[in-house]
Amino acid sequence: MRISGIKTLLHVKKFGPDHQGHRQKLCGGAYAIIFLSMAVLVSRLSYLQLMNGKKFSELSQRNSVRIVPLQAPRGKILDRNGRLLAGVRPCFNICVVRKDVKNMESLLGKLLPLLNEPESTVRVRVRQMLNQPAYLPAVIKRGADWDEISRIEARLSELPGVVIDVTPGRKYPYGSIAPHLLGYLGELSQEDMDSGRFASAAPGDLVGKYGIEARYQAELAGRKGERTLEVDSRMMLKRVISERKPVPGDDIFLTIDLDLQMAAEQGLGDQVGAVVALDPSTGRILALASTPKFDLEAFARGISTKEWQIVNDPLYRPMVNKALQEAYAPGSTFKIVMAGAALQEKIVDEATTFFCNGSFKLGRRRFRCWNRRGHGKTNIYKALAESCDVYFYNIGLKLGVDRIARFARGFGLGERTGIDLPGEQRGLVPTREWKRKKKHEAWLKGDTLNISIGQGAVLVTPVQMASLVASVANGGTIYRPGYVERLVGPDGVTEKEFACKERGKLPVSLKNLSIVKKALKGVVQGRHGTARKCRIRGVEVAGKTGTAQVVKQTKRRQSERMKWQCRDHAWFVAYAPADNPLIAVAVLVEHGGHGGSVAAPIARQVMERWFQLMAPKPVIMPQRSASFRAAVASLAS
Amino acid sequence: MFDKRYIENFDWWLFLAVMGLMIVGFINLNSASAATGFPFQYKQLQWYVIGLVFMFGFMCFDYHVLPSVSLYIWGLTVFLLVLVLFMGKSVGGSQRWLSLGVMRLQPSELAKLSTVIVLSSWFYKDEREQYRLRDLWLPLLITAVPALLIYKQPDLGTALLLVILFASIVYIAGIRWTSVVIVFASAAPLLPLGWKLLKPYQRRRIESFLNPETDPFGSGYHVIQSKIAVGSGQLTGTGYMHGSQAQLKFLPEVHTDFAFSVWSEEWGFLGDMVLLSLFTILLCRGIAIAQESKEPFGTYLAFGVTAMIFWQMLVNICMVIGLMPVVGVPLPLISYGGSSVLTTMMGIGLMLNVRARRFMFH
Repeated sequence: MRISGIKTLLHVKKFGPDHQGHRQKLCGGAYAIIFLSMAVLVSRLSYLQLMNGKKFSELSQRNSVRIVPLQAPRGKILDRNGRLLAGVRPCFNICVVRKDVKNMESLLGKLLPLLNEPESTVRVRVRQMLNQPAYLPAVIKRGADWDEISRIEARLSELPGVVIDVTPGRKYPYGSIAPHLLGYLGELSQEDMDSGRFASAAPGDLVGKYGIEARYQAELAGRKGERTLEVDSRMMLKRVISERKPVPGDDIFLTIDLDLQMAAEQGLGDQVGAVVALDPSTGRILALASTPKFDLEAFARGISTKEWQIVNDPLYRPMVNKALQEAYAPGSTFKIVMAGAALQEKIVDEATTFFCNGSFKLGRRRFRCWNRRGHGKTNIYKALAESCDVYFYNIGLKLGVDRIARFARGFGLGERTGIDLPGEQRGLVPTREWKRKKKHEAWLKGDTLNISIGQGAVLVTPVQMASLVASVANGGTIYRPGYVERLVGPDGVTEKEFACKERGKLPVSLKNLSIVKKALKGVVQGRHGTARKCRIRGVEVAGKTGTAQVVKQTKRRQSERMKWQCRDHAWFVAYAPADNPLIAVAVLVEHGGHGGSVAAPIARQVMERWFQLMAPKPVIMPQRSASFRAAVASLAS
Repeated sequence: MFDKRYIENFDWWLFLAVMGLMIVGFINLNSASAATGFPFQYKQLQWYVIGLVFMFGFMCFDYHVLPSVSLYIWGLTVFLLVLVLFMGKSVGGSQRWLSLGVMRLQPSELAKLSTVIVLSSWFYKDEREQYRLRDLWLPLLITAVPALLIYKQPDLGTALLLVILFASIVYIAGIRWTSVVIVFASAAPLLPLGWKLLKPYQRRRIESFLNPETDPFGSGYHVIQSKIAVGSGQLTGTGYMHGSQAQLKFLPEVHTDFAFSVWSEEWGFLGDMVLLSLFTILLCRGIAIAQESKEPFGTYLAFGVTAMIFWQMLVNICMVIGLMPVVGVPLPLISYGGSSVLTTMMGIGLMLNVRARRFMFH
């Protein structure tokens, strides 16, 4: 029943009587082809294996050609002035050729006391070695120091199978500078091999695992060479048949300035956070710091289990590049977007004022201003300079969530900046649909008030904020931040120059933008500005502070009396000189407290360093501020 | 509702041959992996298990639904092949891989099976006693689109395999012998043009195949070393994990294209006979299933899948024993590769499917 039903459903046709017979014959032909082919294969195999087997067996034993890969020196990474950030040095590896080892246990017994390496690590390496060809040297200890080398060298005759191998390794002349950007190398793993990203790499090779080393692996790695050798039956070298020289990798010149990078890292000190400094006129990254740092040297010599645990600490997360792999609530720095939106949508102008008495009533709820005594009559200049929350509650309610979200996207938030480093976060610009999908709730007016002051669900990365403030500084062009200036091939000729692409324009007219910029100047230069700590002698600075709440506080408490994880994030975004910007900076300090008192001084250090570097020496002196200003202006033009 | 005739008609011989090939494949990869330094054999074991699941999956539905979805199968294949050209991973100079998060897919492998299914469906829907050349333009187009996309990767071996599959299915569907003569007569003058279409490295492979000793360290190197490996196996082989050609890296690609050389070197002529017997059982069962089917679609399907396995086996083995130029075609179930194992096992599942449902027409 069921079967015939399916048959009619699928229009199954049977063979016609003639067809069937014909196809039977054709199948017979197929049998013939199969058996004929098998006969050909069997006769060829018996020709090779039975009749000529002896000859081939001898050929195989006399097969004395070895192809040895020659490692290519990895390209260097340099700063914008050509200072070496990551170079190449010879790296001495202690290796074991399994084929030449009679008794691995007795060898290890002799070898272990000579190595500065815990026994467990060595044993893991020995176990991994079993997967590699027996005649190739397998690394037991990478990057051995001189003590180890000399101790082993002296006893090499008692250690059959042990060889000391030299491969190119990384050196960092200035120490661990910008580790999150530079990244590190590691041994090729099975997953790397499967991913197909490393076409020419072999087991045991070092490949880029993080940061620039990973992103520009192909360019930095160069091309391996090959030496074809003839050896005798004891594997001793008889002659070199041919050699193909390795091609060294390209050198990468970054847009990063070493001095500025160091200033950023010193400014953060042992606080957790990130600093991003951009050249607003080109979008190039001048410094990109994230703390805590990890030690590149430790990765270069092979990281120990204990060190690995430290760099993966769940609270401080040293391996996370906080400039782009983590998103935070922007706090009051978001008011730049709000001000631009309100002006552009003609909700306010320069003269519009709102009265702040310390809080804002929405229905029965009371939304507080950070200043409980209130700011009184507030216009846009005062609102940004003193970061009046009530002013922004008012315009936020008038704008509504849809327009706020549209402008936030227009300012480059909620999407990746496209910095070309792995793991960049998108951040979040909340909308009605987002809340409906995520929380199955309708959007409330209270939510709008929260996002108006950069709280609630809004999330941004420091690199997004740096890009945002740079676009305000340069008059409205949003660039895709870039960190590579040029690639230089091994012959010293420039191969490729990089320029930052435009991502878009700010959705705010020049006239309105100039109002925002004037207000941002007041944040630093004004008498009651929240970022007075960022003043630099001789240069006018514009910026905006932010203090992002991490936990909801029912009572106002002193930040020092809270647990570290519960303290507010401190933000500061700035550019200088205010009228002709040469640098834009975003600073985030995780759980740092107030933006004005914690983040602003770090930005000041970075910007001061930049003007020192650009100024004709001797550096800024108070009485020379006028001539210095002129010098800065001439540099900018 | 389950009909126990499905179990009675399960083809145990075919299944045992497949299991035998998997055992040989695993044993051999265990040795080849030691030579490459990566444990490919365990990954392959995972693929075998997944492949068996797919095989049973492909037995469970009535294969007669395939003609009605064949258009979608073809469309999906072409879509994947276009995708791989634009965003595929490049390995060794050609773009063959599509990254799917945890695993990588090689759409050109899937194209082999989907071509068989789609062509079988077309010939089934448009059934005649014999086909003339002018009847065949549509199935030719069906084959040519994926074949050209694969040729662009570039992967000449697989592209040619699709054309051979087309010829095989045309053979079983029935073609006038005069048409065959016309094709061969008109193809002969086109050969020089074909030579021009080849990439320089492909020409070098053919030249070095015709005369390998001219350039023993260049492109002829692999074939010479492979012949030495196979020959030095002699009657009983050099011993498991003791093939010096494979273990000392004289052979390239020991886990994929040259897996047969490793087997031959370490197990000798006797080992080769075991392997070839397993393939012979598999192929003969495939033809028998095609013969026993009471309706044309089952015949085409079983015949097409058998042809797919047969030609890959023949080309791969001929290549490593120096009877053919080097083209990258895997040895089914023996070479390492998830997409290849899955494709083969899905095909086997379809053959078992045809066999299990033959009673529907009694």
